[in-house]
Amino acid sequence: MSALRILLVDDETIFARNMSKLLAFRGYQVKAVHNGQSGIAELEQTPYDVMVLDLKMPGMDGLATLREVKKLGLFTETLILTGHGSIDSALEAVKLGAYDYLTKPCQIEELVAKIQAAGRGGEGDVN
Amino acid sequence: MLTGHRSSEDAPHGADGAHSLQAQRQNHYRRLFWRFVLLTTVCSLVPLLAVGWGINLYYTRFARERMINAFRNEVAHHRRIIELFLKERSSKLQLIAGTIPRDQLVDPARLNEVFEMINREYWSITDLGVIDADGRHLAYVGPYDLMDKNYAATFWFKAVMDKGLYISDMFLGFRQEPHFIIAVSRRDPDGRHWILRATIDTEAFRSLVENVRIGQTGEVYLISQDGHFQTSPRRWGKIMGSSPVPVEEFHEGIRVRTTDPHALNGHRMPRQIMSQTWLDQPRWMLVVQQDQAEALRDVRLANLAVLAFLHMAALSILAAAVLITRHMIGVIRRRDAQADQLNRQLMQTSKMASIGELSAGVAHEINNPLAIIGTECQLIRDQADHTPALDAEMAAQIEASVTQIDVQIQRCKRITTNLLRFSRRTRSMIETVDLNAFIREVIELMEREARSSGIKFFAELDDALPPLLSDPSQLQQVFLNLITNAIDAHDDKPYGSITIGTRDCPAEEGIRLTVSDSGCGIAPEALEKIFDPFFTTKPVGRGTGLGLSICFAIVRRLGGGIDVASRPGQGTTFTLFLPYRPPDEVLENIDARPPDPGPAVLAAKEARHERPAHPAGG
Repeated sequence: MSALRILLVDDETIFARNMSKLLAFRGYQVKAVHNGQSGIAELEQTPYDVMVLDLKMPGMDGLATLREVKKLGLFTETLILTGHGSIDSALEAVKLGAYDYLTKPCQIEELVAKIQAAGRGGEGDVN
Repeated sequence: MLTGHRSSEDAPHGADGAHSLQAQRQNHYRRLFWRFVLLTTVCSLVPLLAVGWGINLYYTRFARERMINAFRNEVAHHRRIIELFLKERSSKLQLIAGTIPRDQLVDPARLNEVFEMINREYWSITDLGVIDADGRHLAYVGPYDLMDKNYAATFWFKAVMDKGLYISDMFLGFRQEPHFIIAVSRRDPDGRHWILRATIDTEAFRSLVENVRIGQTGEVYLISQDGHFQTSPRRWGKIMGSSPVPVEEFHEGIRVRTTDPHALNGHRMPRQIMSQTWLDQPRWMLVVQQDQAEALRDVRLANLAVLAFLHMAALSILAAAVLITRHMIGVIRRRDAQADQLNRQLMQTSKMASIGELSAGVAHEINNPLAIIGTECQLIRDQADHTPALDAEMAAQIEASVTQIDVQIQRCKRITTNLLRFSRRTRSMIETVDLNAFIREVIELMEREARSSGIKFFAELDDALPPLLSDPSQLQQVFLNLITNAIDAHDDKPYGSITIGTRDCPAEEGIRLTVSDSGCGIAPEALEKIFDPFFTTKPVGRGTGLGLSICFAIVRRLGGGIDVASRPGQGTTFTLFLPYRPPDEVLENIDARPPDPGPAVLAAKEARHERPAHPAGG
């Protein structure tokens, strides 16, 4: 099993940087971008197994990004990771096709488990 | 319906502030009560008294005038009777002297005939005599031996010789008894001058005057011009005695006046009403008098009746004023209490709303830095794990610190999660709930938790409870919070009890639920803030101060209310009101929004996994 490719979309640069390091440390290929547009641009160029998406971002927010991804037919599993506790928006994201959601702050193990599940699900789908 | 306000059952143990406020209120109502009573009484009594007093005054004057007129009539009537009596006697004497020649009259038999003729109808004269111009008796009929008396020197003799007709005042004369005479003089054609003289019977005259009765104290008497009684007044003085009544100048007409009690020359006498008039011939003053008290007795009785009536009216007005005011104050008091409750409720609701907004923002803003701290922490841990050369002690310290940071992050996260839950907008999964069964489940759950604490659970459930439309997961959170608090309230007690009761309230279309504990109770000042977010009496780190705020928010959202009463040291009772069905806006919202998050997420996930392969992946 090759290393899962992960796209991290989060406007909190420090968080994104740290998370990238942590995930890379755990053997994933990680790319971090800081807004929705960059995320979509990145997805259009390179396929990613899992996108970890923040909901509350300036400009194009998480939900809009997810909608755009679905519209463009870009393939990726999406994990919502947000500090915004509103279950409404998380549910909205799940309805739009996100795989699952997590609230910040979260344990790295938790995130890794979800990424693994999402990655496997994605692979399952692909296969 | 219950609301979010707090009440302390425990007034005697209440704070001083609450005490004085209560007293101030009480004082306020008392002042209001008396002000209303005074106002109503004055407003009703003043016109009543004015009318009563006016009528009384008018009636008194009217009655007095009537009484005085009656007196006037009385005295006029008497004067007529007396004048008529005297005139009749005078006329008879004049007629006799004019028609019967002197020679016949000096015959004793003839004179006796005439005497009897005069007295035939009414005994009025005592004797009758014929006297010549020298004052000698020519003839005499009567009981006294007066034939040899000579009257030439008497006062009346000269007067009658001058005037032709003379009526004397009372005098003693030769017979030494009070009497008065009527005398006429006649000059015959032959030049002889003679006098016919009659003595009026004193008894007959006195009874004519005196026997008139006016009430108990009324009397009639005559006074001569020189101030002597001509008849005997019943109560004061004697015939021919000197009269204490001042003799007025002769005047026409009738005068009525009221005397001062002591004005009658030292005669002590109650105030008198006195009516006086002058007889024409002789010049006697006729006096009719009566005690004013008696004369005005009817007026006085009427006055008393009016007074009694006024008192009764005033009393009934006062009673009515007190009763009406008491009722009104009761209404005002109830209104005030309602308004207060509404105010508190409004204040609490708006406070909760603004705190909700604030806490949602704060929670979100804190979650992001927490996430960064978490990642930093994990980075350190990762780095330490992969640095083999690290000093063991150093590695242990790093691990301990990082672990502690994680623990604290989780603690912060719990707080923010609770905050977000508290501020969460309406989201309910409404189901039919059998509240009793639900409570039994919750009790079972909590009994296990509290096993070691020595706390016993009791359920006093109303078996006739109708099913409830509500949100079971939110209700569960409310009960768990309340029961957890109840358990915590027993921290310093070796044992205790928690009683959960339900009661159907069809009148309010809802169910009342009580959670009572035998714990430490809540101080009155804490009671005021108990539903405020972040208010806690638990030790630092044990409570976030959000449990009851969340309960409050949930119960309000479900259309109910929550109330607390407590006696410090004895226990606390939370009372919840839950309506049979939540408000319409809650029911509308469940259709418009997805159901409860947990199961919903799962359902969405399952649905997604059952989907055919993603087009992009295919």
